[in-house]
Amino acid sequence: MGTGGWIVLGIVAVVVIWVIATYNGLVSRRNQSQNAWSQIDVQLKRRHDLIPNLVQVVKDAMSYEQETLKAVVEARNRAVAANGPAEASAAEAALSAATGKLFALMENYPTLKANDNVMQLQEELTTTENKISFARQFYNDSVMGLNNVVQSFPGNLIAGRFGFTTGQFFDVPETEKAVPQVKLR
Amino acid sequence: MAEPPPGPWGSAPPAAPGTGPWAPAADSAAPAAVAIGAADFLAAQRANRRRTILLLAVLTLIAAGIGYLVGWYLDVGSQPDTGAVSAGGVLVAFGLGAVSIVWSSISLAWGGRMVLAMTGGYEASKETEQQLFNVVEEMSIASGQPMPRVFIIEDEAMNAFATGTSSRNAAIGVTRGLLNGLNREELQGVIGHEMGHIANLDMRYMTVVGVTVGLIALVSDMILRFMNWGTGRSRDRSGGSGGTAAILLVVLVVVALLAPLAAKLVQFAVSRQREYLADATSVQFTRNAAGLISALRKLTAAAQPFSGVSRATQHLFIVNPLHQFGAKASALMATHPATEDRIARLQALGR
Repeated sequence: MGTGGWIVLGIVAVVVIWVIATYNGLVSRRNQSQNAWSQIDVQLKRRHDLIPNLVQVVKDAMSYEQETLKAVVEARNRAVAANGPAEASAAEAALSAATGKLFALMENYPTLKANDNVMQLQEELTTTENKISFARQFYNDSVMGLNNVVQSFPGNLIAGRFGFTTGQFFDVPETEKAVPQVKLR
Repeated sequence: MAEPPPGPWGSAPPAAPGTGPWAPAADSAAPAAVAIGAADFLAAQRANRRRTILLLAVLTLIAAGIGYLVGWYLDVGSQPDTGAVSAGGVLVAFGLGAVSIVWSSISLAWGGRMVLAMTGGYEASKETEQQLFNVVEEMSIASGQPMPRVFIIEDEAMNAFATGTSSRNAAIGVTRGLLNGLNREELQGVIGHEMGHIANLDMRYMTVVGVTVGLIALVSDMILRFMNWGTGRSRDRSGGSGGTAAILLVVLVVVALLAPLAAKLVQFAVSRQREYLADATSVQFTRNAAGLISALRKLTAAAQPFSGVSRATQHLFIVNPLHQFGAKASALMATHPATEDRIARLQALGR
């Protein structure tokens, strides 16, 4: 084989290696996005499980706040029963507002705030809400990484050939951005 | 592909923007005290990575250069001086590279466990350290890394470290003083910084850099020892190569004296870049520069020497555990940048 043959062989080898690397990169980015998506679900489920425990613990001490407690339980049940993305999004937003109001009212009960059990539950709910937003954030970052490869040259050549599509970002709906209105006594 | 999970890929119809079964973020739970554009910390990370690569190139050049000089010197005696590239020089330069790779691999295989033993920490349980565990879990979700092991060091000094040669065998350690002194938001910033070290594979970087610096020191030391009897022998050399050998000898001695110092300075510079990078990565995870800024202020104000640390492990901690940190810390021989500089860069991110 002459020099020309070796050069051609070298170019072919480089192209093949590049195609494999790009393809594998796309697969791992897509898997990362999907995994991030399922993490959001895990944390939502966890929040639904935690709320009845909190209500159970505080309901005796907060006997004057039956309305608020009822609203939390109802919002939680609607969130559990929600079907489809649009409905779930709205229900989870309402649940956040309801628990936010409950937390604000709990500030008026020093005995509750000092209660170890309540403190633990509050910490668990706080971390779960954080995890939900971090999972969503990581999901969005993953989708951005995937989309950057899928859309930009020359990655788009590989993505188009093997049927990789862009992922969908998850924006926070307008209702969520509104600060929950809390009326303090 | 099997029936996909409810995600917007493949055949699943893409959801309209702003509709999806995700939960609302409670503003009270994850305070975004400073609004941060994604471009800011990503740009900061790119800049830090570029500087690291530049520094690693400098370090490699120093090592290769000293290897080449040694090989060339050994060559000069046996071959006529043709002025061409010295084959012996190239051989020794690549030989040093190979030694560095093997040595680094061995260090990486054994390294992770060492630090925990040296700092005297014990593994924490979720039951006793609920908030710490939750914060680490949050940062592991935000970074997309597996959950690291969590260690507590019963020490009143306020500090934290990360170790592990891959994200799978990573561990984060914090002191009792840190847990007592920081609020949740500040703790999140610190854990985000440690998670950043893990995600950026800093333990690997610093191990490889440390090995290369050690190798340069070793070779330089050998050159200087060899000179003690080598100088006598070189006088016996015959022909025109004697002149070259004499010049080379002087160059070698100068290089052997300067190279270890230069390598050490590069090592410190890499360490400082990785700290800035971990800070920017922490902000990427938390989207909140205020927590880390406030934590750094507290850590610096409370700075007290931390007993469980040696020079070998100091670069792993969030603030340097051995030295007081003032403006002088931007000096060349520091593993960490001055806290004021770190805070200034974080504030620039939050602007």
